[in-house]
Amino acid sequence: MMKPKIAIFSLTGCEGCSLAILELEDQLLDILQVVEIVNFREGMTERGWDIDIGFVDGAISTPEDKREVEELRKHSRVLVAIGACACLGGINTLKNHQPASEYRAYVYGDKAEWFPTMDAQPISAVVKVDYELPGCPMVKEEFLRFVKCMLTERPFRATANAVCVECKKKGVLCLYEKGIICLGPVTRGGCDAICPAYGSKCEGCRGVVSDEALAAAGVNLREQYDVPLDRVLADMRFHGAYQEKSLP
Amino acid sequence: MADRIIRHSDLMKLVDEVARKRRIIGPVARSVPECEPPVRYFYEDVERADQLDLSFRYCVYSPKRFLTPPSETLFAFDQDDGGFVAAPQYDRRPTALVGVHPCDIHAIRLYDRVFDLEHRDEHYFARRGATMIIGMDCPGPCTDGVFCKDMGANVAEAGFDAMLYPLGTDTDGDEMRYAVMFGTKAGREWLLYSRQSAAPNADDERAFEKYQADKEAAFSFALRTRREDLAELLGRSYDSLLWDATARRCYSCGSCNLSCPTCYCFDITDETDLASGSGRRWREWDGCHLPEFALVAGDHNFRPKAASRLRHRIYRKAVWIQERSGVVGCVGCARCDRACTAKINSVEIYNQLAEEA
Ligand code: SF4
Ligand code: SF4
Ligand code: SF4
Ligand code: SF4
Repeated sequence: MMKPKIAIFSLTGCEGCSLAILELEDQLLDILQVVEIVNFREGMTERGWDIDIGFVDGAISTPEDKREVEELRKHSRVLVAIGACACLGGINTLKNHQPASEYRAYVYGDKAEWFPTMDAQPISAVVKVDYELPGCPMVKEEFLRFVKCMLTERPFRATANAVCVECKKKGVLCLYEKGIICLGPVTRGGCDAICPAYGSKCEGCRGVVSDEALAAAGVNLREQYDVPLDRVLADMRFHGAYQEKSLP
Repeated sequence: MADRIIRHSDLMKLVDEVARKRRIIGPVARSVPECEPPVRYFYEDVERADQLDLSFRYCVYSPKRFLTPPSETLFAFDQDDGGFVAAPQYDRRPTALVGVHPCDIHAIRLYDRVFDLEHRDEHYFARRGATMIIGMDCPGPCTDGVFCKDMGANVAEAGFDAMLYPLGTDTDGDEMRYAVMFGTKAGREWLLYSRQSAAPNADDERAFEKYQADKEAAFSFALRTRREDLAELLGRSYDSLLWDATARRCYSCGSCNLSCPTCYCFDITDETDLASGSGRRWREWDGCHLPEFALVAGDHNFRPKAASRLRHRIYRKAVWIQERSGVVGCVGCARCDRACTAKINSVEIYNQLAEEA
């Protein structure tokens, strides 16, 4: 079997997700035996453009990001969005809810016009994305599972379950028992419920799990809980999981 | 008639004796200042009896994770010169579950039955065969919302090695005394020959009778329908509007399933290692409320909507499991109701259906 050629790119984001790949220390050597990395800014200097699987972290936040991702799409047989920024727009989308003149002024000062920018978007808003490995940061174990599926030509499926499943498997006390509104029931699982396991509410970094769950949240938070909906919406907005002004 | 009487401190000594040969799992208090009362109990591994808190009311999760873990490897596979080899993995660590309430004992009896239907689940029975169960009876409902009496599960007559009945504190001190009933030879041997426990005298017998009368008075029914009539009630309720009306709140998060002591479904995955032909087959908890539970080849989902999944769970618990296995499918512990962040409540569902009918 030919070794699949892999590339890893970063758009607007902290590049923490591509770093997470390097953090797979124990498995990294095994991975390198079965794939060929042809393009990876975080880990090497050479550049190759014949790409079987292209991984992209970071959001589309500038016209340059947009051009770059369109280019990557042309060169990658399979394109994979990794991390909350690439899959949802991530925390970059916070600017979408502020006037552009304001955030451009406080980020770039008097040089604002040198830096064209636009509303932050997931890369699927611009190009066709074949797979998404969400999370802030991406979950290394999920990345590894994805790579194994590709190598053995088995289908990769992201879980359709909410984060709560992983809480229950771990035996975590549900944060609702402490009166905390956690986004776990509306958020796609796969992170091993790491936030609730350490006592923090889920902030939805893996995206909304389903329209059905989102609709249920709208009903429950209005009818069953006495919470300011704005606060919940702000939480859902944090990683770009949900951008609308009100719940369904 | 009780088999033995034992004081709390003597019981602790006996548990410590067991701990020399077995892993001990029992109720442990965790402080949770944000909760009222500010403590929650969980079944956990302990090394010594004094880490247990046998005065616990209820444990948030049932002890099922120690008999059917959330995920477990069934076998590891590899390829050698002779071809494909698979090595099954069994967990036979000697274990004692201490402080198991009657509802959870009924749930384990259900597991003993369903994991033996058609195909005997050797992984379950490896653990189960190595597990001793020391029950703890409930003098009254452990918390609001339970309906164990309705399901006939607030009393257990079998399914344990030994069962403790907290009779109350001594007249001459403040130490809890327990009546003990034996369920198996192992339970009998554990207690009968130790100097720590005593044969009940006439006063003890009276105290045990009073305990049982008080218990009878402490539990009341929560359902409007008797358990024997639930099948008939649900038989009339398949097309009720309740399913849609309630399920609009359902997140399909599966918390009800995964915290239920009688849910036993699992999903199986094969996983290969990166470089070689080796790997493993493992299983993990699954639940009928989860969106892809009934998804089959060709991407067809038999229950694509939350309403059909909610209905399915309620039918399973109230009727279908019992029809299939002969053992009651819900023990009324209300863990599903407490786990549901949408506040979907099974007692309300049964009672609303009864009202409609
Ligand atoms: S803590 Fe959050 S994720 Fe965990 S079970 Fe509760 S709601 Fe779900
Ligand atoms: S618990 Fe929620 S916020 Fe935390 S990693 Fe998982 S999906 Fe992200
Ligand atoms: S716990 Fe509640 S919201 Fe979650 S699947 Fe069960 S019924 Fe639905
Ligand atoms: S269905 Fe609910 S009440 Fe019945 S056994 Fe399961 S968790 Fe307990």
